[in-house]
Amino acid sequence: MQSLNRRSFMKLATASGAVLATGAIGSKAALAGSVKLAAGGRDFSPATGKERKRIASACWQCVTRDSIVGYVEDGRLVKIEGHPDSVRTKGVVCARAHGGINQVYFPDRILYPLKRVGKRGEHKWKRIGWDEALDEIAAHIKPLLDAGTPEKFMFHYGRMKSSSSKVTKDFLSAFGTKTIAGHTSICEGGKWTTQELTWGGHYDNWDFENTDYILVFGSNVTNTHTNHIPSSQRLIDAHVDRKVPMYVFDVRLTNTAAFADAWLPINVGTDGLVALAMCNVIMNEGLYKKDFFKFMKVTADRNASVDEKIAAVKARVAKFTPEVASKESGVPADKIRDLARGFAKAKSGVVVSYRGVAAGLNGCDGERSMMLLAGITDNINSPGGRCQGVGAKWKGPKSKHVKTKALKITKGFKGTIAYPSHGVCQEVLPVIKDGSQGRPDVYMWYCYNPVYCNGDSNGNRATMMDESIMPYLVTSNIVYDESSALADLIIPDATYLERWDWEDMVSPTQIGEHYLRQPFVEPLGESRDLGDVWPDLAKRLGIELAYSSKMDYVQQSCEMTKPVKAAGGFAYMKEHGVLYDKNAKPDFYGYKKKVSPDKYKADGVILDEATGVYWKWKKSKAKSAEEAIKTGYMKTKNAVKGYVGQEIDGEVYKGFKPDKLNKSGFLEIYSDLLEVKKFNPFPTYEKIPEHAAMAADDLILTTFKVAAHTHSRTSHCKWLSEIYHDNPGWMNTKTATERGLKDGDKIKVKSGTGEVTTTVRVTEGIIPGIIAISFHVGREFSGRYGSGKADPFPGVVADDPDFKNKAWDRHGVNPNYVIPNSSDPITGQQRWMDTVVKVVKA
Amino acid sequence: MASARKDMADTATARSNVYGLLAGVFRAEPSSELLTQLRTPEFSGVLEALGISLGESFFVTSNDNLVEDLAVEFTRLFIGPGPHLSPNESVHIKTESKQEPGFWGPETVKVKKFMEAAGLAIDDSFSGMPDHISAEFEFMQQLALKEAEAWTEPNQEFATNILKIEKRFLDEHLSQWIPRFCDKVIEMAEEPFYREFAEVTKGFIDFDGDSLQASIDGANVGDDD
Repeated sequence: MQSLNRRSFMKLATASGAVLATGAIGSKAALAGSVKLAAGGRDFSPATGKERKRIASACWQCVTRDSIVGYVEDGRLVKIEGHPDSVRTKGVVCARAHGGINQVYFPDRILYPLKRVGKRGEHKWKRIGWDEALDEIAAHIKPLLDAGTPEKFMFHYGRMKSSSSKVTKDFLSAFGTKTIAGHTSICEGGKWTTQELTWGGHYDNWDFENTDYILVFGSNVTNTHTNHIPSSQRLIDAHVDRKVPMYVFDVRLTNTAAFADAWLPINVGTDGLVALAMCNVIMNEGLYKKDFFKFMKVTADRNASVDEKIAAVKARVAKFTPEVASKESGVPADKIRDLARGFAKAKSGVVVSYRGVAAGLNGCDGERSMMLLAGITDNINSPGGRCQGVGAKWKGPKSKHVKTKALKITKGFKGTIAYPSHGVCQEVLPVIKDGSQGRPDVYMWYCYNPVYCNGDSNGNRATMMDESIMPYLVTSNIVYDESSALADLIIPDATYLERWDWEDMVSPTQIGEHYLRQPFVEPLGESRDLGDVWPDLAKRLGIELAYSSKMDYVQQSCEMTKPVKAAGGFAYMKEHGVLYDKNAKPDFYGYKKKVSPDKYKADGVILDEATGVYWKWKKSKAKSAEEAIKTGYMKTKNAVKGYVGQEIDGEVYKGFKPDKLNKSGFLEIYSDLLEVKKFNPFPTYEKIPEHAAMAADDLILTTFKVAAHTHSRTSHCKWLSEIYHDNPGWMNTKTATERGLKDGDKIKVKSGTGEVTTTVRVTEGIIPGIIAISFHVGREFSGRYGSGKADPFPGVVADDPDFKNKAWDRHGVNPNYVIPNSSDPITGQQRWMDTVVKVVKA
Repeated sequence: MASARKDMADTATARSNVYGLLAGVFRAEPSSELLTQLRTPEFSGVLEALGISLGESFFVTSNDNLVEDLAVEFTRLFIGPGPHLSPNESVHIKTESKQEPGFWGPETVKVKKFMEAAGLAIDDSFSGMPDHISAEFEFMQQLALKEAEAWTEPNQEFATNILKIEKRFLDEHLSQWIPRFCDKVIEMAEEPFYREFAEVTKGFIDFDGDSLQASIDGANVGDDD
């Protein structure tokens, strides 16, 4: 181009003026108002600045959802801290909460609706407006509605909780689809289902504030727990300030294990066996607490006396001696005895267990064994014990729902899982591929990354790539990741720092805390919270919702929820963010409360002789009282919804109220529900068959998480990826030496599913015979800080002055290329800890 | 004196027009109407004289296809996903600030304050950030327009003040990132449209720096009548 001179400039200007005069530029302007310099006298000093605006809200980086406060300066969120008034968190947050700022401002964020214009997965996109995007979604799902097949619209979510979950599920119920899948089975679903089989609902909370003894099995509770900050700080206080003994069983020397009195290295999948051996010691040495047996079901006979129960437990655990357990688990028998005695003799104690126990083939039995250990020592729902978590209760507006329909594709292959009460996320794509249980016409996912997060990432990708199997894919997302790359339409989600929610996560004090999430800033670009998208989409479908936006939903909820309304409703919550009744009493021993006769003798309440449960049959699917009596409580669909109380020794107790499964009101250690499905009704131990059949050079691959990341949602956060961006496989010195491997060597990890290449971290901090690889990293696409490139193409465009500060060039591996989609046959939990692999030098 | 002021007003109007056009080009995917206007012999002739060629296909492709092609190109260049050039100052500026760059960075705040000091704010309907290239251009467009009005009124002192403000904004913001941004567009563009407009933009920013300085130097055009 020639340099502009006065003459050519004026020509350009005249022509430009002519174009402008036609209005072809359009009427949409970037700026509002008019130039008012004439008024003068206004001065803005960037140096002095205005006072930062403080806003109370809630985190969403992990499921703990801590209360936070953030500071906004000139429209930018500049800092996040813990909310000092939150009883749950006591003002503490973790690195992820601080790093949340990156979620809003990372340079690869999706800010506009994008429509695929190339082939699926070709990464060719066109920005479209919201109207066009919503019209397009409506054009795909309205015909399903009109044809009476709303279930062919499938919705699959990852993190979706509280009001976000309520609003989305409300819309889907008004639309008529129940083809809804969550991600719980690739997280902790096995634990939840086991809790539903034994004591009712989830989560479990450990009363560290009052406890006198801490046993941890397969849980890095100080670093990565489901209720991380509320739990970990109380555990740390107990162990440091009150010198509460703490012992950790784990395959790795986790930070939790390193912090304990002792790390007890334990073989994969044997945690339950060690717990049973502890039960053996406690029963044989008479260290059990007799009182609680009344509320436990440990034999087929619900009327068994306490003495009969004690004898039954003794007999059941007799074969699990410390010596037997030691041989399998590698934990010394004497240690098992010492800890069993210490735990049983303590005034109170907690048995902490998580995915190290639950996320394997025998996870359900492992968890049930933990429950038995807590039960015989009377450490269930007691001060200092393992307690059923208490969260805040909210009410909210409901739209008119229609009778919903569902494709049977969310709970695994037909007949393979006994009680998939939280779905079988990892088998959704394989089941869709198989096709015999039906396929959705429209598959939409939210806050979830199906390709990356489930086992067999290659298989997941192949299924989603195939338009003959999955004809239309739409996602709401903030980042271009492995799955959104395959979408046909991406709608830009608002981050959690730009949206409204009420929150309810479990409190460590056994008293619920109501809290609020509110936006710090307006959603960037054209991003929108999905809760604000549904009302707009509903209009296009002729569906009326009971709220006009997520804020409206939250506001109405605040006015409908008694304690919140009493405190001042929406206005109060906006100002304070948290609400906690300091005078409320913690919820302990609720199971001992007696049910008044007017409740269990009320009309329509019947006694189920087999289980001793009083229940309102009308709340179930039974058509008559006769049918309900004949079929029985346990086998009648939805009987659980009518639970009133549990008869024990002629009295009716509140008991352990069932949640999703038709169990009795006992703490069910002996499970009729499992017996009818041909599983051992009493907790047992069976070696994982693949592990018994391992070749000499095979290793077991286990997985883990770290404190700096959430599974797949944080690697684009610069501050967090700076902390953790590479995941070499941990290997014991002996195991490495046998393979001629040195620390830092490049290795290939192979299974029947696939292979990955990484490096080896040789350490004494892991048991021999296994390799452990974390999740979080190994991202193909996740923004420049997650994958090292401005996705999806190689090389980062040199437009980021900060990119030169990125001091790391390794981005790890995703172990899901090696791990198959495989489930615990009782619960449907994905087996994250069991995969048999070969490791060779690369 | 009056003719000198008229010259100043004409120059300001002219500059305002160019900024207005460039704001439109970078704000969104080009509409069919805009493409029709840019394809007129009058406009294409001007570009041709500057040595700018939007390519043969620009003139022969049907309007609908061109709209589609340039929408995909606009998304690829300025929206993502993939290596793209977010047209925001805070993403491109070389700053010593300890605050985080990225979206809504320290430069965004400076631009926002600058605009607010001039009585302007981001319109609710605009989904970009204050330091989006089109917002910055539109800001200059409006300042220049106001300057032209002031010369015409006449209110020489005010006109001179606005001139200085324009120069300051150009020095502190536009010239700090837009030439480099344009170089990257020129490198990355697949369609001549954005490559050539990046050339025009770069050339104009350079020209306007000199032009503003000359106007400030010559602003003392005599007492008001």
